[in-house]
Amino acid sequence: MLSSEEIIRTIEMLKNENLDVRTVTLGISLRDCASSSVGEVCKSIRSKIERHGKDLVATCERTSRKYGIPIVNKRLAVTPVSAVAEGLPRKDYVQVAKTLDETARDIGVNFVGGYSALVQKGLTSGDRNLIDTLPEVLATTERVCASVCVATTRAGINMDAVLLMGQAIKETSLRTADRDGFGCAKLVVFANMPEDNPFMAGAYLGYGEPETVINVGVSGPGVVKKELERAIQSGRRLDLGDLSEIIKKTSFRVTRVGELIAREVARNLNVSFGIVDLSLAPTPTVGDSVGEIFQCLGLDFIGVPGSTAALALLNDAVKKGGAFASSSVGGLSGAFIPVSEDLNISEAVRRGHLSLEKLEAMTAVCSVGLDMVAIPGDVDTHTIAAILADEMAIGVINHKTTGVRLISVPGKKVGEKAVFGGLFGEATIAEVRGVNRSSGFVSFGGRIPAPLTSINN
Amino acid sequence: MRKDESLFDWVVVSVISQDRPGIVASVSKALYENHYNIEALSQTAVLGQFAMILVASAKKGQPHQRLETAFQKLSQTMGFNITLKEAHREDMVPYRKSETEPFVITVRGEDRPGLAYGVSEVLAAWEINITHLDAKVTSIGQKLEYVQIYEVDIPKQLDFDLLHDRLRNRGQELGVSIDLQHREIFRAINQI
Repeated sequence: MLSSEEIIRTIEMLKNENLDVRTVTLGISLRDCASSSVGEVCKSIRSKIERHGKDLVATCERTSRKYGIPIVNKRLAVTPVSAVAEGLPRKDYVQVAKTLDETARDIGVNFVGGYSALVQKGLTSGDRNLIDTLPEVLATTERVCASVCVATTRAGINMDAVLLMGQAIKETSLRTADRDGFGCAKLVVFANMPEDNPFMAGAYLGYGEPETVINVGVSGPGVVKKELERAIQSGRRLDLGDLSEIIKKTSFRVTRVGELIAREVARNLNVSFGIVDLSLAPTPTVGDSVGEIFQCLGLDFIGVPGSTAALALLNDAVKKGGAFASSSVGGLSGAFIPVSEDLNISEAVRRGHLSLEKLEAMTAVCSVGLDMVAIPGDVDTHTIAAILADEMAIGVINHKTTGVRLISVPGKKVGEKAVFGGLFGEATIAEVRGVNRSSGFVSFGGRIPAPLTSINN
Repeated sequence: MRKDESLFDWVVVSVISQDRPGIVASVSKALYENHYNIEALSQTAVLGQFAMILVASAKKGQPHQRLETAFQKLSQTMGFNITLKEAHREDMVPYRKSETEPFVITVRGEDRPGLAYGVSEVLAAWEINITHLDAKVTSIGQKLEYVQIYEVDIPKQLDFDLLHDRLRNRGQELGVSIDLQHREIFRAINQI
């Protein structure tokens, strides 16, 4: 039997601590939609997504009501479009993206991920077409998210692709200059990109995935913070090991929610259940912030000395609790520190406590990458590419995923504010030091070889 | 339950008393000495008031007179309020009219007369059986709140959303918040 304490505690988490399921993402393979006719490709894509996805939103809402758990986002992830559209000329890629956009709108999901390419070792013609069309697609569609994997531990870093992505970010920002470069918020550059990530903008359906699959991203920074606060205020003497234990237990609870919802939605849609992504995903709401957890851990702001160690502790504890709660953990499963999407982190940048360099250092111990960082619009393409390369190197050498979502904000300077709205939030533009000094390095091109540690068979 | 049930008679015993050590011992002693076996038992205490219900069995045909006498004695000496009722084996099954799913209803707000009635009236009208009910004042965050927790079995064919709306409306009429959630969410979050 349930105890009334358990029930009341659960209700508190749901009502006052923002415990929710951040995203239920339906992966749909579009491999069978390839054709040399754009009309055929678009027709097949529309009909396949409608067939498998038409009940996604209603099913999620019914499940949400049944358990009293909000499911914030319902989304789609599809096979990389670079592969599906490989038989088409470049001009038709945008048409494919628009079909994805319209179909996503029609079935009621807020994003569809998979305008993607995997180019860690080199580019096919389809990959090249996809990268070339990124700025137009991101500027002219609403729901399409793009991601490009330019590096893996096995392959090394494709510096030609890194430079192309530097250009793509810059051009995308200019194409969406009226919205502070918002197009860039829908574009991630990855090292070791996971095939089953449910979170945008980096979701896509990998080549090793089934025909259709449900992947879920949980949330819970607010719950973790409250549990820490409660323990600290109780007056008990606690050391960092004790705090880690509290985070671990909370992560267990949060993950169990995700798995319950994922399995139920998958069962009702007659789709296989894939993974639960353990990432603590914040929103721009007070009490739903990863930055606030750092304050509970005794740091005035995320970014001050000690932050890297605190993040290492946080993320490790989240993983341990989550791995015990579910045998199907996947996706990114790392703490997110998306600057604009977390009020507290955004404030830390505004006050000058959190720099680009510190963010980069933090990504080395666990977090997923440089996420939703707004930079001045006058930072040159080569410098952006060099930042990408640095972040890719951290992922490649540490056998982990790193992603970069940099928003170059046209016409704005350090300290000014970029506003993206909704869950994307707003960010003070961070300083990029050493601008215009990396051209020689990134212009060499070619591939940074895979590290010795990749040879492990 | 033992195998050959036709060889046994059944009694239902309820005990109410001011809570203190020794109540279970006195009642179970009387049962043991009169050759009764306790088949199932549940006990709770509310604001210092002890309550227990149990089902016991005895050899078929054994008169219950001696047990009644023992209980009367306990009532007089210990101040227990004890009832004893004969029962049939076929009555010893949980209420079940159709396939159901377990849900939890939580009512939160300021205490006032008529809350239990207001909620349970809706449940009764919908033929929803309450399997467990708990009501108390508890501290949530910084403040005290009155909370009622109903565990209920909801028939599978019932329109869940309609019931949810009905309960919410009733909550508004009563000035409390009412939530209805599948029990599994509480298990998932709290139990390994």
